[in-house]
Formats: sequence, structure tokens, C-alpha cells
Amino acid sequence: MSRSLLQLLAGGSFALLAAWLAHRQRLGLSRSLLVAALRAAVQLAVVGLLIALVFSVPLLAVAFVAVMVLTAALTSGARLRTLPGARRTAVAAIAVPALGITGVLLAIGAFATTPRAAIPTAGILIGGAMLATTLTGRRVIEGLGEREEEIETRLALGDRVRDALAPLMRQAITGALVPLIDQTRSAGLVTLPGTFVGLMLGGASPATAARIQLTVLLALLLVQLLSALLTAELLTRAATLPGERVRVPGHAPG
Amino acid sequence: MTARERDPAGGLAVEGLRVERAGRVVLDDVSFTAAKGRVVAIVAPSGAGKSTLLRCLNRLLVPAAGTVSLDGEDTAAIEPCELRRRVGLVAQTPAMLPGSVRENLSYALPGVPEDRMVDALDAAGLGASFLVRTAAELSGGERARVALARALTRGPEMLLLDEPTAALDAQAASHTAATLCTLTAAGLGVVLATHDRALVAAVADEAVAL
Repeated sequence: MSRSLLQLLAGGSFALLAAWLAHRQRLGLSRSLLVAALRAAVQLAVVGLLIALVFSVPLLAVAFVAVMVLTAALTSGARLRTLPGARRTAVAAIAVPALGITGVLLAIGAFATTPRAAIPTAGILIGGAMLATTLTGRRVIEGLGEREEEIETRLALGDRVRDALAPLMRQAITGALVPLIDQTRSAGLVTLPGTFVGLMLGGASPATAARIQLTVLLALLLVQLLSALLTAELLTRAATLPGERVRVPGHAPG
Repeated sequence: MTARERDPAGGLAVEGLRVERAGRVVLDDVSFTAAKGRVVAIVAPSGAGKSTLLRCLNRLLVPAAGTVSLDGEDTAAIEPCELRRRVGLVAQTPAMLPGSVRENLSYALPGVPEDRMVDALDAAGLGASFLVRTAAELSGGERARVALARALTRGPEMLLLDEPTAALDAQAASHTAATLCTLTAAGLGVVLATHDRALVAAVADEAVAL
């Protein structure tokens, strides 16, 4: 049996085992696990076919990155949809930091200005930005509901909405970034990050893999902080009603 | 008759207030005046919109129709933060902000004199020793009184109180009633939403039924 077939069989078996375990434990996650596995299989198969074409035509690379941003924004925006302009917020919070830092890395020559280097770099940074946007946004939305009395107290004491929401926003950003910072801190000790593994499997030397991984990880830290800050800022604006009042998700504005 | 003519002493004047939430009419055609130096009690069963009415008076809520005037000026024309400093609100379940009681009383009031905070605590029935207490560790009754002191520290012209004695024992409630009499004698106007008939009988100059 070929190694390729063995890899696919092992992956498929693991997904089925996870779904079976979830079913046995009555977690209600079996369907989600299988759908996620199936989606990943289809998406990666399509990407595998497309990527060869994209690598040979630079203009297609731009379109490919645009699709990545759009998909990330739709995914993140759906999580924040209880506030107006959620998708616009997600597009800005993901695209600006991820594409900006990718641009810097390419402009200074840290990575080659080729689709083969630019697409994976942009992909990792877009993925990280999406995670930071979703985590920050969810914490903000939950906080607007759970801390409604505290926020209203601050407004009643004469605060502007921006000031009344500032503690919630700071907490949301911190809460979202702590797991991401921990991931970076433990890189190489607890987990071997994807870029490192990919480069090693692709035949790069451990030193090269570590150097490139470090560059990406450190860029991710900045991208995710910028995404969280942008998300907080845009959601502060979305939650602000005229007359220094706050829009609480799920409540009709009064 | 204009709000100023109805209310020559100054204070709040409510005219034809209507509030709708999610398509439901919560308040309809509510009108009354609350002059400075007097206590107006809003009396109504639970769910009748007492808290909603109080939140309209400092524009935490915007009514669908009607006007609220402060000293004859439409509150919609007053800068919201200034309005809320002039018209203090103590909610039914007041939130304590992080930190000590001192930090709560001086919140957004940099450089507020210590004696002003002590006087406010005294008016609310608490001693100066409370300044160093952690606000989050206070009992429900203590929180209610710290919230009253926090509102008084700002020196409001009008005070909106939502069920101020709900979390208090009889002695503390009696102290609050005495405080309200003292404060109104000094010119403060009070709008009180309450179920407490004893409090209404003790302090209210006028009762408005919803």
C-alpha cells in the first residue's frame, strides 16, 4: 500500500474515531466533527489542485488571498452578527493587519515575492487574525450582556460610551490574546507549529524551519494584537447609540 | 402652559411620555413634574415601567414620544454626560465598580475632596471607615447605600432612586427616609420609584400612579 493512501486512511480513521467517541459520550458533536472533517478534505483537495495553477500565475495569487480574507471575514462575521456591521468589522480587523504585515515581510525581502512564499505567509497571518477577531468579538458581545448593569452605572455617572466600555474592551482583548501568547510561549516545547512541521516534511533543514517559523510566530503576535485592537474599536462604534447610549445585543435599542 | 410655567422652581417636567420596546407599549402619555426641593414617588405594580421611566429622565433611554425638561430645557438638547451628572440615578441593583468604595465614590471625579465623600457616606448611613472597603465584598444593603453616596458625591440637582429601600433593613430604610428629607430641604429634587408604602408616606410630597 502506498504512503499516500496510508496517510489518507489514517486521517479518515481518526476523524471517524473522534465522531464515534463524541457519539458514545453524547456530546452532540459527531455531526459537526464529520462535517468539519469532510469540509477540510474537500477544501484541501480543491486547494491542492488550485495551488499549482496559482503558483504559476501571480494575478491568481492576489485573487486567492482575497478569497482567503473573504472566507475568514464571513466566518468571523457570523460569530459577531448580533452587532451591526459585523462583516465589515471582520473584514477590516482581519485584512488590515494580516495583509499589512505580509506586505512588510515581502517588502523587506524576508520572504521571496513569489506566490509560493506569499500565499502561505498571508494564509497563516489571516488565520491568526481571524482567531483574534472572533475571540475578541465574542468576549465583547458576551460582556455587553453580562456587564450591562456596570456599563449603565458608568454612563449614569457621566461617562461617555467609549469610557464606559473601555474596561470591557481591555478585558476582551486580554482574554483573547492570552491563549495565543501561551501558544507562542510554548512553541517548540509543547507543540511543533505547522510551518515548522511543513518545512521539515518538505525537506528543509531544522535550522531553516525554525528560523522561518520564528519569523511567522512573531509576526502573528503583532497581527493578532492589531486585529484585537481593531475589533474592539470597531465594536465600540457599533455598540454606540446616539446620545451616549449603548446597544446591547439582543435588546431593542431604546 | 410651558414646562417653565408649570415648574417655576426648576426641576424635571415630563410631558406625554411614551416608550415602546420591541413593539410593545411600556409607558403611554405619562406627564408629571418633579420640582427641586420635593420628593415625587412613582407608584405602580411590578413591570409597569417604573425603572424604564427613570431611565428616560436621564436619557439612558430615549422615549418614542413626549418630552422631558430640566429647568425648562428639553433634556434632548442637553449634552448627555452633563445631563447625567445633573440628574443622578441609583439603580435598583446598583453595580459596584472595581476597587474600593473610595474609588467608586471618586469615579470620574479626579481630585474630589475627602470630606465630600465622607459627607455622602454619612448621608447614606455609612461611616468614613467604608472608604477603604472593597466594593465588590459589600452586602446588598451596603451596596445600595454606597450607590446612593456615589450619586450624592457628584452633587446632582435631581436624584432618581429606583426602589432605594428594597435591600435595606427597617433601620437603614428609616435612615434613608430621613436623608431624603434633609436633602430635599437643601434643594435637591427626588423622583422615587418604590413599592415601599411606608417610605412614600414618610417622604413623598406627591405620588404619581402609572
